[in-house]
Amino acid sequence: MAQAVIFPKLGQTMEEGAIVKWLKKEGDPVVKGDILFEIETDKANLEVESFFEGVLLKIYVREGITVPVNTVVGYVGAAGEKVPDQAPKAAAAAPEPAAPPPPAAVPAKSSAPSAPAPVAAPAPVAAAPAAPRPAPQPAAAAPAARLVISPRAKALAKDACIDPERITGTGPNGRIVEKDVLAYLAASGYDALRITPAAKRLAAEKGIDILTVRGSGDAGRIMVEDIERAVRRRPVALSRMRQIIARRLVESKQTIPHFYVTVKADITDLMAYRADLKAKGFNYSVNDFVLEAVILSLEEFPIVNSVTDGKTVSWRGDVDLGMAVSVENGLVVPVIRAAQTLTLKELNAQTKALAEKARTGKLTPDEMTGSSFTVSNMGMMSVDQFMAIINPGEAGILAVSTGRQVPAVVNGEIKIRTVMAMTLSVDHRIVDGSVGAQFTNAIKSKLENLELWKSLV
Amino acid sequence: MYDFDIIVIGAGPGGYPAAIRAAQLGKKTAIIEKEAFGGTCLNWGCIPTKTLIASAERYHHAAHSQDFGVAAKGVAFDYARMAGRKAEIVSKLSGGVQMLLKSNGVELIKGAARFEGTNRLSVVQPDGATRWLSAASIIIAAGSDSAMPGFLPKDKRVMDSRAFLDLTELPKNLLILGGGVIGCEFACMAAALGTKVTVVEMLEDIVVVLDRDVRRVLRKRMEALGITLLTGAPLTDIAVKKDKVTGTYKDQTVEGDVLLVAVGRRPNTAALDLARAGVKADERGTIPVDAQGRTNVASIFAVGDLVTGSIQLAHAATQQGVAAAEAASGFKSKVEKVCPSCIFTSPEIGLAGLTEAKAQQLGIAVKTAVFPFSALGKAMAAGETDGFVKWVCDPVTGQALGAQAVGCHATELISEAALAIRNELTIDEIGNTIHCHPTLSEAWMEAAHAFHGACIHLPKR
Repeated sequence: MAQAVIFPKLGQTMEEGAIVKWLKKEGDPVVKGDILFEIETDKANLEVESFFEGVLLKIYVREGITVPVNTVVGYVGAAGEKVPDQAPKAAAAAPEPAAPPPPAAVPAKSSAPSAPAPVAAPAPVAAAPAAPRPAPQPAAAAPAARLVISPRAKALAKDACIDPERITGTGPNGRIVEKDVLAYLAASGYDALRITPAAKRLAAEKGIDILTVRGSGDAGRIMVEDIERAVRRRPVALSRMRQIIARRLVESKQTIPHFYVTVKADITDLMAYRADLKAKGFNYSVNDFVLEAVILSLEEFPIVNSVTDGKTVSWRGDVDLGMAVSVENGLVVPVIRAAQTLTLKELNAQTKALAEKARTGKLTPDEMTGSSFTVSNMGMMSVDQFMAIINPGEAGILAVSTGRQVPAVVNGEIKIRTVMAMTLSVDHRIVDGSVGAQFTNAIKSKLENLELWKSLV
Repeated sequence: MYDFDIIVIGAGPGGYPAAIRAAQLGKKTAIIEKEAFGGTCLNWGCIPTKTLIASAERYHHAAHSQDFGVAAKGVAFDYARMAGRKAEIVSKLSGGVQMLLKSNGVELIKGAARFEGTNRLSVVQPDGATRWLSAASIIIAAGSDSAMPGFLPKDKRVMDSRAFLDLTELPKNLLILGGGVIGCEFACMAAALGTKVTVVEMLEDIVVVLDRDVRRVLRKRMEALGITLLTGAPLTDIAVKKDKVTGTYKDQTVEGDVLLVAVGRRPNTAALDLARAGVKADERGTIPVDAQGRTNVASIFAVGDLVTGSIQLAHAATQQGVAAAEAASGFKSKVEKVCPSCIFTSPEIGLAGLTEAKAQQLGIAVKTAVFPFSALGKAMAAGETDGFVKWVCDPVTGQALGAQAVGCHATELISEAALAIRNELTIDEIGNTIHCHPTLSEAWMEAAHAFHGACIHLPKR
């Protein structure tokens, strides 16, 4: 009997996803372990294997369509076996009640970002605790009134490479007739428009209204390059990752009253100590020290490691530290679990491993879920100061900037010191200014306390 | 205040038009030239070679016109007179350049320039005195010289193209190192005058910038002229032995009375002391510039052969020079993208825009359309049926993206193609344009019809 192929739930918080690519066609033989399709979640691209053997009988969900998890996307069975024409409503309604075990998901290669990315990004958003959210509505096109136009007028507009939607019709019921097009062309300076033959062909091919194009050639002549620019101006759907980022950022900024506290840490001594360690073969990054200082401070200020819904506040308990990593066209936030239990050495190892996984697209959805506080470090990107947006589900985020040599006053004298700005963004509903200030200063004093680091290394 | 608004270094085909344009725009302009006004093009390049080629063609036609019903007995040539005619024309043109500069109010300064700062230059004048100059903007147009790799023996029998042009007698046997444009042009010219020519090119074929089908025509004709083309391996063990130069190609010994070295050109940037002005050059000595010819220093421009990635042709330098002068005068000029190339081999070759090979390399889909001269009345009448013209087009819009012509007068024919490509005509405008009959340029129109498989003058396939 035919077995339903379901869209897997690959993480605790995963609610929906889209098939990016089917690797099998209807009618293709399938053995256990074959990759059936590749899916895109809000976190990563993953490959889904078949748990059945037979022939891929039916595909219900085409590439690029977002569906809830557990949707039946197809059937595998014996060749010629009958399957429903329409997809059953949900997995439970499948003819074979045996819900197959969730297919193993392995990260797909295609999701690997090619550009090495610094461990930094201002607005981590991917790691949020489970919160019900509406399925995204497909962007409904504005219901365009059907254009009433005569065939001659239509042909003329097409020949002129202009968009007839912009023309006001004078015929019965506002029908656009040939003379309306001619009048429009005359009024819009069409005759003065200069365009190369190849550019006009390309405009016709791509459906570009040449009245909307600015010419860059001799005396404003429209060139092929200008049409290509016009084509590039058309809206392009954001990647799923960017859409999720967009939604989360808006949600955060609209529901969490942010306020910001900036403190500058003098890391001159720490940098020297780090260089010493490096010479001895211990490779710690500045980020390791920052993360450790944040972890220790969160233990001191549990309210910053909490979350509120506006009515209640819950302490998150463990420090599940999110670390924003920018990847190609987006960013991900891998989570260091129970970071307060790790030694500096373990923290360093985990950070490296997670950053590497992020860069190669190998993070699993669960590794990107459930952080309780996030650090976004743009130190590698030469920034003086920036403010990050809080991940929904957390109380704060620390934006770490570049350590710079500046003249600083030390014991009443001006010295050259390496100073690094850190800006805390925090939820004002549960954290007040004084706590924000104390918390950020706690991080600073830890970074400046060399004795602490000597005891931790 | 500076002595000048704009100073141009080098009075070649890049420099002198830049100076004239700057003066036309009302700028107080000076031009510095260390050797001869007109630069390489006019003194040791385009003009003298074309003068000699014209002589060689006259001779060749006079000696080979029996089929046309013309019998000339005792056709002979006097190379010394050919060289003398060349010298006269060069001197006349060089004088013309100086007159043009002066008439526009440009100050002519003779001597070798070097940078002393961003806006300062020193010039060692012919009398040995040093003159100091300053300018708000400086345009570097110092050109290039033939590259003479270090492994070559230092001997008067091993020469570059410039020294070759100074000969008053042609060698009986000529060995040429390098089968690029310059090597092939000199090979054809000397072979037409009866010299036994051997060309050694390390790359797979001669003039590799051209599409294979174009090269095939050239290769065949050069071989018919008696030129030996040895490609795909380097010339090694080069040695001067008494009265000849010998070398090894694969296992074969090759020799010539002289060795003409044509392995590319080297930018004349070392003596300019660019670092003192803060101008960055890359490791090959060429200067990277932006779309207006501006170097990394905002007030300093570079044009012509010494610009990174520039096509090393006089007319390219001229357009860059004018654009740089305009930019230095505060206008938003830009360097043109389509620059046709002309190769004065026998037969001639013209090239503009994209080649089929380049399109393939860039992953651009193209459709080509070809028309052979053998099917043209005028070509038959002129006894010049070798070769063809070729369009390289966008397969969807039919836009002419590139063109090549190989055959008689191809260097003249290519300008029509350049006009079409630059102005983004499609194959249909070209095909619909009436071309005079009987002319060689009809080939462009016929090839345009070939794009649609609708040639009138080719049998249906």
